[in-house]
Amino acid sequence: MAAIDQTGGAAQAAPDRARPREKTLRRRSPALRRAFPYLLVAPAVIYLLGITLYPGAYAVYQSFYLVRFTEWIPVGFDNYVELAGDAEFWQAMLNTLLIGGIALTVECVIAMALAFFAYRDALIRGWRIAFLMPMLFMPSAVAFIWKLAFNDGRVISDLLRKLGLIEGNLDFLGNIWLARTTLIVADVWQWTPFLFIIFVAALQSQDQEVEEAARLDGASWPAIFWNISLPMIRPVIAVAVVLRGIDIMTMFTNVFILTKGTPGGMTETISYFIYRQGFQTFNFGYASAAAVVMLVITILAAQLVVKRAFKSGKT
Amino acid sequence: MAKRRKSKGDNLVLRYLVLGSWALFCLVPIVWFLSIGFRPRTEIITPTPIYWPTFSLDAWRLLLADWPIFDYLRNSVLAVTGSVVIDLILGIPAAYSLTRYEYRGRDDIGFYILSTRMMAPAIVAIPIFFLFRNLGLLDSVFALMLIYAAVNLSIVVWIIRSYMLDIPKELEDAARTDGAGDLRILWEIIIPACLPGIITASVIAAIFAINEFLFTLLIASTKNAYTMSVALANFTGGSDGVIYNAIALVSFLAFLPILVLIVLIQKHLSRGLTMGAVKG
Repeated sequence: MAAIDQTGGAAQAAPDRARPREKTLRRRSPALRRAFPYLLVAPAVIYLLGITLYPGAYAVYQSFYLVRFTEWIPVGFDNYVELAGDAEFWQAMLNTLLIGGIALTVECVIAMALAFFAYRDALIRGWRIAFLMPMLFMPSAVAFIWKLAFNDGRVISDLLRKLGLIEGNLDFLGNIWLARTTLIVADVWQWTPFLFIIFVAALQSQDQEVEEAARLDGASWPAIFWNISLPMIRPVIAVAVVLRGIDIMTMFTNVFILTKGTPGGMTETISYFIYRQGFQTFNFGYASAAAVVMLVITILAAQLVVKRAFKSGKT
Repeated sequence: MAKRRKSKGDNLVLRYLVLGSWALFCLVPIVWFLSIGFRPRTEIITPTPIYWPTFSLDAWRLLLADWPIFDYLRNSVLAVTGSVVIDLILGIPAAYSLTRYEYRGRDDIGFYILSTRMMAPAIVAIPIFFLFRNLGLLDSVFALMLIYAAVNLSIVVWIIRSYMLDIPKELEDAARTDGAGDLRILWEIIIPACLPGIITASVIAAIFAINEFLFTLLIASTKNAYTMSVALANFTGGSDGVIYNAIALVSFLAFLPILVLIVLIQKHLSRGLTMGAVKG
């Protein structure tokens, strides 16, 4: 699709727009005309309120109760007080930040390095799909690939032993940092391509004259990349990292299939904590209190981070 | 792209070494996992891994005999297609409203729609579970359709909005001079003009829907609603442990259509994945 200069187009169109507008105005009442755009957007907004506002309010309400089967006993702020003193909850928070933070950093660095090597290369362009393959796998299937490789099939241990790096078997899901590493590897493998393809597209669509000029001045490619290309695509990097960050901080599937939070809750993410409290111990009020805490964090992050990233990314 | 001459810091050997090793890292697990689907079960979970496979179609026989695989496939297809249809019906008018009209609160509404993308499934999982239970919709494909549509609506609106912004206003104004109403303009001019965006949005929404795990896990409890994504987690044979060859096969059944869809929209992929923030 050809890119279109929006501001130019709008400015040109402005003078002739007055007349056709009058025509539609005559046929419709002014009230309807004013309501029309709202009517168009309303069904989508109502639908979305149904899965955000309603559940949000429900979770807040439920968080003030002790739910036992069908019986709801009001307990005031007890759930929150308990949550504040719950070491497992804080551990889940910490795990989410650690695992998510490390995975996101590693993904960014690798994707950026790969993009640096790939974006000026016509040969790679045709083979781009090979780099995307992991992303096209169902996440639940990916979790099983790594479960088999790390744990059930002992393939990684065996390969490391053949290389002479370790002796005996590594129990990947039995050791805190090895289990976390397993989750990180699974996420990095699957989602680095997401960042990679976005970075490459952004690098290729920027103005190449600037790079060319710098090159003629004798600057080296790494220097051009670091000082010119990267700053130019910063808004896009922000959008991509925010989108990836959202998904990584709500990690669930891999934890559910790979570790179930073991060993000793050290790989439990906040999403898995809520799931476990709700659907395994049926402590719905308590799980809702944790969900409300996560909701507040989400809303703050949406206001502070997402709004800014997408404002600048809008172009 | 313009031809570039080799310049300082441009080491081709290093470049292909780095890209090549990453490509291997991407592809080897996939090929290895595919091979799992064609090997006997006894060869997969062993004290030391067996690298040279024996060919066997056991997994296929087992899968077809013991598991209602076609039910899973049907549920996935129905739920995903239904959710994309709902998304388009709700999303196209919303995107049109957000791009073509000036009104109070427009940007806030747009941002609200975007921000629902941030909602963690775990936050709303419990209320949604109770809601569907009270409506008697648990374990139904219809419930999956509704929830997938909700999860992806923000993406669909923002992608289509981005493509609508690219349509020159003149196109619309010409039709308006001819006396066409707003809805007719949307149907006859805007929708055909942003068809690539609509297709991109549909494909990306469909892929996210195929992959969806947590909501499906809570809503589905039998083959009435199990989709491929969640059915995988149930491929366990009791004392025999996880049935990896069946998992490998099902994951490839899902992988192939996704691959075809992605190749179809390859040029629009990065724009779709960033909800319209990157063009190109």
